[in-house]
Amino acid sequence: MAELLQFTITGLTVGMVYALIALGFVLVWKSSGVANLALGQLVLLSSWFTYGMLVQAGLPIWAGFIVVIIFAVLLGWLIERFILRPLIAQPILSLITITLGLAYFIEGLVVFIWPASVAALPRLFPVEPFHIGPAVVSQQYLWAAIISLALFGLLSLFFRYHRMGIAMRATADDQRAVQACGIPVTRIFSRSWMFACVLAAVGGVLMSSIGGITFGLVGTGLKAFSVVILGGLDSFLGAMIAGPIIGLAENLGEGYLTPLTWPGVREVIPFIIIIIVMFVKPYGLFGEERIERI
Amino acid sequence: MDLPAGTRNYTYAQDMAIFRTKTHWTLLIGLLVVLCTAPLWWGNWLSVANLIGITIIAATGLNILTGYCGQLSIGHAGFMAVGAYTSAILTERLGLPFPVGLISAGVAAGLVGMIFGMPSLRVKGFYLAIATIAAQFIIIWVIKHWTDVTGGHMGMSVSAPALGGLVLKSNASQFYLIGSIAVLSIFFAKNLARTRVGRAFVAIRDNDLAAEVMGINLFRYKLIAFFIGCFFAGIAGSLFAHWARFISDEFFPLTDSILYIGMIIIGGLGTTTGPIFGAIFIGLIKHSLTHYLVPTLESSAIALPAGFASGLAPMVFGLIIILFLILEPRGLAHRWQLFKAAYRLWPFSY
Repeated sequence: MAELLQFTITGLTVGMVYALIALGFVLVWKSSGVANLALGQLVLLSSWFTYGMLVQAGLPIWAGFIVVIIFAVLLGWLIERFILRPLIAQPILSLITITLGLAYFIEGLVVFIWPASVAALPRLFPVEPFHIGPAVVSQQYLWAAIISLALFGLLSLFFRYHRMGIAMRATADDQRAVQACGIPVTRIFSRSWMFACVLAAVGGVLMSSIGGITFGLVGTGLKAFSVVILGGLDSFLGAMIAGPIIGLAENLGEGYLTPLTWPGVREVIPFIIIIIVMFVKPYGLFGEERIERI
Repeated sequence: MDLPAGTRNYTYAQDMAIFRTKTHWTLLIGLLVVLCTAPLWWGNWLSVANLIGITIIAATGLNILTGYCGQLSIGHAGFMAVGAYTSAILTERLGLPFPVGLISAGVAAGLVGMIFGMPSLRVKGFYLAIATIAAQFIIIWVIKHWTDVTGGHMGMSVSAPALGGLVLKSNASQFYLIGSIAVLSIFFAKNLARTRVGRAFVAIRDNDLAAEVMGINLFRYKLIAFFIGCFFAGIAGSLFAHWARFISDEFFPLTDSILYIGMIIIGGLGTTTGPIFGAIFIGLIKHSLTHYLVPTLESSAIALPAGFASGLAPMVFGLIIILFLILEPRGLAHRWQLFKAAYRLWPFSY
C-alpha cells in the first residue's frame, strides 16, 4: 500500500513537469502550427546552461535563474526569427524536419560545450523527505509539482486577461482574421517560441534538480510528446491532465511491470501509450478533431 | 521529362525510355565501367563507398515513403535495425544462407513498418512523426532487452555474406554485392514512380482526400508505401550487418533516423536522384569530418575543447539540414536539373 502511494505521488508530481514542458509545445503548435520536435533538446540545453551559470560561473541561485530565463527568451527569439520565419507557409513536412535539424544541432552544441555526460545542479530545494501517510516523498518532487501548477495558473490568467495572451489565442483560432485586425502575427509567433523555451528551461531545471543533468533529459522532451498526443495537440487543459496520467503510468509501470517484462520498461511506456492512443482516439482526450475539406 | 533540343519521341517506347540519347548511354556505360573497376583503384575509399551504397538503399526506401507518398517516418534507423537483426539471427543462430536472410530481413522490416504505419490511415503530419519515433524507441528497446535472441547490449557478431560457396570477405567483393543491390533499388524506385502505385503515392502526398475521392484506397496504398519503404530499410540493415560484421543496439540511434530525413531533403524529396545525392553528400561530409578535419585540427597547435570531436558532426549536420530547408528546399536534385538545363542551352541562355 505504501508502495502504491509512493508510486502515485512520484508519478503525479513528475507528470506535472511533463505537462509544463508539453504546454510549451501546445503554445507553439496552436499559434503557429509548427510541431516543435526539438523540445527535448531545448530542455537539455537549458539545463546545461543553468549548470554553466550556477556551477561553472558560480552565480547565486536567484541571479542564475534570471540569467537562465533571459537566455531562454533570447533562444526562443533566435529560433523563431532565423529558423522558422523563413519557412512561414511551408508544408508541415518542412516545418517538422527543420525542428529535427535544430534538435540535431542543439545536441551537438551541448556535447561541444559540455562534454561531460553527467552533472548535478546545486541544491535548489530542501532535502528532508516528506511523509504523506506511509509514503516518503523527497521534497523536490513536491516543489516541482507546486511550481508547475503555479506556472500553469499564471499562464491561464495571462491567456485570459492579458492583451498579448488574448491575441495569441486569437491567432490560434484564425491567423488571417487576426492579421486583418492589425495584430502582427510574426510577433505572436516569436512570443510563443519565447514562452516555449522558458517553459522548457523551467521544466529542465526542475527535472535536473530531481535526477541530475543527463542525456535522459532529451527523453523528458519525448515524454512531453506523449503528453500532447494523449491530451490533444491543441488543448492546454489536455496537456495539464495528460501529464500526470503519463507520469503515473510510467511510475506504476516501472513498479509493477518490471518483474513481468524487462528492466527499463519505464522508457517505453510513454511510446506504447502513443501507439495505443493513435489507434483508439488519434486526436487525444481534449484535442479538436479536424474536419478536412478538399 | 525535359529533353535536349532536337530529341523527339516517335513511339511510346521512346517516350518511356529512361536512357534516351547517345550521351545518356555513353554516360551510363561510363558510370558502369567506373563502378565495375572501382575496387581496382579506389583503395581505402571502398569502405566509404560501401557504407554510402548501403545508405543509398535505405534513403531510397525512405524517399518512396516520405518523398513520394508524403508519410513522414522518423524511425528509419529502427526499421533498419529490424532488418539487420533478422538477417543476423537467421544466418548466425539458425544457419540459413545469406540470400534467405537478406530477403527475410526486408520482409520482416516491411511488416514491422506496416504495423507502425497503420495509424497513418487516421492521422498524418506530426502525429505520424511521433508514431514513427515511438516505433524507433520500441524497436531499439526490444532489441536491447531481448538478450537471449539479440545479445542485447553486448551486440552480435555476424559472418561475412556468402552467396552459395562464395564468401564475400573483402570490401572489394562486398562492393559488387552492395553496388548491384543499390543500382537495382534505384532502378526499382525510378520505375515505381511511373506505375499506377507510384502515381497513387504522389496523389496521396499532394492531397489525400482528393486521392481518396478519385478512388485510391488510402489504407492499402499507405500500407504499401510503408512496406516498400521499410523493405528497403531492412535490406540496407541486413547488408550493413554483414558488412560491419558486428551489430548492437547502439548502431541505430534516433539521430540516424533524423539524418536519413536530412539526406532526402538535401538530395531533393520525391526525385530518384535525390537520395543518391543526399547519401553521397552526407557520407562524404561524415567521412571527411571524422577522418580528415578532426585529426588535422587535433594535431595542430590549437587547443580544442574536449567535446569538439563528438559534438562537431551533429552540429554540422543539423546546420546543413536547416540551411537546405531555408535556402534550397528542393535539394541538390533541383540544382542538378538547373545545371543540366543550363548546359543544354549553353551558350544561348534563352
